[in-house]
Amino acid sequence: MSDTTSIAIQCNNVSKTYNLHKQKTFKEFIPALFSGKQTRHKFHALDVIQFSVKKGESIGIVGKNGSGKSTLLKLIAGVTQPTKGTIKINGRIAPLIELGAGFHPDLTGKENVFLNGSILGFKKKEMDTLYKHIVDFAELWEFMDQPIKFYSSGMYMRLAFSVAVAETPDILLLDEILAVGDVQFQKKCFLKIKEFQRKGTTILLVTHNTIQTEHYCQKALVLHSGKQIFFGPVKQAIETYAQSTE
Amino acid sequence: MNGIKRNLKSLCLFWRYRELLINLTHREIAQRYKQSILGYAWVILNPLFQLLVMNFVFSTILKIPSLNVPFIIFLSVGLLPWNLFTQTLTSSTTMLVANNTLITKIYFPREILVYATMIAKIVDFLFSCLILVIFLIIFKIPPTIMLLWLPFIFVIQFFFTAGLALILASFNLFYRDIQYMLSFLLILWMYMTPILYPVEIIPYRFKFVLSLNPMAVIVNAYRQVIIGGSMPNIINLSIGFLTSLIVFLVGYSLFKKLEGEFADYV
Repeated sequence: MSDTTSIAIQCNNVSKTYNLHKQKTFKEFIPALFSGKQTRHKFHALDVIQFSVKKGESIGIVGKNGSGKSTLLKLIAGVTQPTKGTIKINGRIAPLIELGAGFHPDLTGKENVFLNGSILGFKKKEMDTLYKHIVDFAELWEFMDQPIKFYSSGMYMRLAFSVAVAETPDILLLDEILAVGDVQFQKKCFLKIKEFQRKGTTILLVTHNTIQTEHYCQKALVLHSGKQIFFGPVKQAIETYAQSTE
Repeated sequence: MNGIKRNLKSLCLFWRYRELLINLTHREIAQRYKQSILGYAWVILNPLFQLLVMNFVFSTILKIPSLNVPFIIFLSVGLLPWNLFTQTLTSSTTMLVANNTLITKIYFPREILVYATMIAKIVDFLFSCLILVIFLIIFKIPPTIMLLWLPFIFVIQFFFTAGLALILASFNLFYRDIQYMLSFLLILWMYMTPILYPVEIIPYRFKFVLSLNPMAVIVNAYRQVIIGGSMPNIINLSIGFLTSLIVFLVGYSLFKKLEGEFADYV
């Protein structure tokens, strides 16, 4: 028995099956029901995934489009439930899957920061102390009282990213979003992620960029049409991935 | 036993996210009138024009009796709570679909989205009640001790609305037909509820229809305590209370049962 407290994420035989409806409305659904046609078909997004991540480890997830990477992150974020198997999570998750979740164009930068903060599970008191850091990190001091519909897309992403990384999370889920803002801001983002790693944050990184994976992660998980084909040291993982794409 | 534990857990989770409820409610209220000149005044102007036109049609032209008070007061007491009911249902039905980016990306108790719309609509409703207060002052209708029943009647309406809102919101996620059907069903429902006419003129053999309609019981109770200055019908009100509690519990458990699948279907 290994020490369970040192495990951050534990996936046991996780499978996810989607029921895809062939009929979207009553108009299509009711005749199909009477004629005995099949109303749904199954799609296996993930098939028996089994791995565990220790606290402080950084894991890359690689695979082609549609191999189930994003589904896996959604399962870990708790947005959707596994069809079979269990997922155990230890600690607070920062899901950097969607930047600026809940941002409303008519509200000001400040209002959106507090709204987004509470969606991510921060308390008002925490937000009051974090607010200054968020604005500093985003470098948007003079724009905070403007409705964000006047922001450029770069400013929007900077603000969203800054809220998401305002506090060191226990587990960070990253989905292809490291390319935020200009070169200078991107550098800041990378430094922030390095800082999290030093502070012991567990990181799950989904990207097509294998150079990034190799740079940040010790281990990687290779997915191929929903199946786990490799989990282990990052070098071997990337080799396996390269072979699988050929 | 397991069920109780699960429910307690989801209540704790809801409590942890209470600030999200406040912030989302604020977003609902703030976003609506941001680019209008009269802003929040529309919350009062809308029902006011609606009342004036309906008063003209149903009182001046159709001469519907109104229990010894000016028709406009009679009408407002029924119509304002009814507006709250329909507006809450209409906007909560589309709330989950409208926030699909949140639902597919981040976990939080989904019922918060529905409650946030409900509270935003209640705030609107309280403002629109100013119209009624002004009419009551103009026509010199004195307040009575019976007004203390109002919070209780309102709670019945709240639970009934919340239950339906949770059911409609979750079903609309699977079949968008709900949102198209709803507006038309609500119009039919309004005619079957004594809002534009008093209960008293319904032929006796059709009165049973009323007891099947919780909104009729609720509207009638508002009229009895505000206009009549009398006790509401306790038996009807207790049945209404039980019905709305059941509707709420059914709606809540259905919503919680389907919640895990929302992200897969939206």
